[in-house]
Amino acid sequence: MAGGGGALEIPERQKRGKIVRRKKKKRIGFRIDLTPLVDITFLLLTFFMFTTTMLKPQIMEMRIPPEMYAKVEVRASELLTLMLTADNKLYWYKGIADANNKPQEIPIPKLRALVIEKNLEPMVKNRLITVLKISPDANYAKVIQVLDELNLAEIPITEALSKEVDEKGEPVKRQRKFTIAPLTEEDLKLIQGEVK
Amino acid sequence: MPKIKKKRMGFVIDLTPLVDITFLLLTFLMFTAKFKSEAEAEKQFTIRRPTASPDTTRLPERDLAIINIAIDDKNPNDTSYYYGLTNTKDLLQVYQLVPEIPQEYYNKALVKVDTTVLGKLIRATLSVRSSTRFAIDADRRVRYKWVEDAMNIMRRNRAFVFNFVTDKRRAEEEKAGGK
Repeated sequence: MAGGGGALEIPERQKRGKIVRRKKKKRIGFRIDLTPLVDITFLLLTFFMFTTTMLKPQIMEMRIPPEMYAKVEVRASELLTLMLTADNKLYWYKGIADANNKPQEIPIPKLRALVIEKNLEPMVKNRLITVLKISPDANYAKVIQVLDELNLAEIPITEALSKEVDEKGEPVKRQRKFTIAPLTEEDLKLIQGEVK
Repeated sequence: MPKIKKKRMGFVIDLTPLVDITFLLLTFLMFTAKFKSEAEAEKQFTIRRPTASPDTTRLPERDLAIINIAIDDKNPNDTSYYYGLTNTKDLLQVYQLVPEIPQEYYNKALVKVDTTVLGKLIRATLSVRSSTRFAIDADRRVRYKWVEDAMNIMRRNRAFVFNFVTDKRRAEEEKAGGK
């Protein structure tokens, strides 16, 4: 095979009593075939590229309270009501709705700013209760979108509150008060009153 | 002077890379062939999940009970509940606790249920393993009523914490939504 090296060697001369220095064999450069390594590397690369796109679904955690029949009294001024109707429109009002305080329509992407603003009002800071009333005919995707906006609003609210200190000198902890309720006929009347 | 003809030598192709790739593909396919779970294989539906903002919380794989609210692929008017458990050992015990589940369903990972059976299954699941986590995996096209009912059933059967399964909202959707 690699016969060149051997054939070119000059035969060593023997001298009596003297150790002849052996002529050093010339090293031949060697090569490693990198093809398998590259193959495998590419294959692993493509494999990981494909597997990382296999998105695992994410989750949105919900906690529902046990059934309670005891009535809890809250201040109307600390109530923010959101209503998602059957035609997937979102309305909101604060406190108690009447002729002067009508439910107003709001596009879902703008909800976040509204919730942040309302939650940080000095009067109701950290006490505001958000009630989401959902029509049974509303679209589930819209419900998730609203919940998502509310969840996203929590981040700036918590951050703003943590900058303040309570009477003990500790940062204020955000206490989220949120509940889901069904949309009643009366709520619908409130909305329709606004439409007319 | 006549040209000396070069002697032709037999050639050798190194088959190592080919064999490497073949083995690798083989093992790869062998592994991927198992990825689909039994419950997925039995599915008569594809769930189009609602999208939410990107989140790092992922669906747990162990001891998870999934309530699917799905629209049948073949019949778009047919929405129903499906109940599945990822823990197959628990699943059999749960099935045995619910008399409404016929024996021929015992090897199935997913059963189509109505609201009464759903409640019984949830209760049985919690009695078999109280640490089981619940998830509602609903199609984004369904009416909220379906989800509300499922939530009420869970509440009645003392499953107070659960998860909504969502997909990550993509950047382009985010832009469109923000306008």
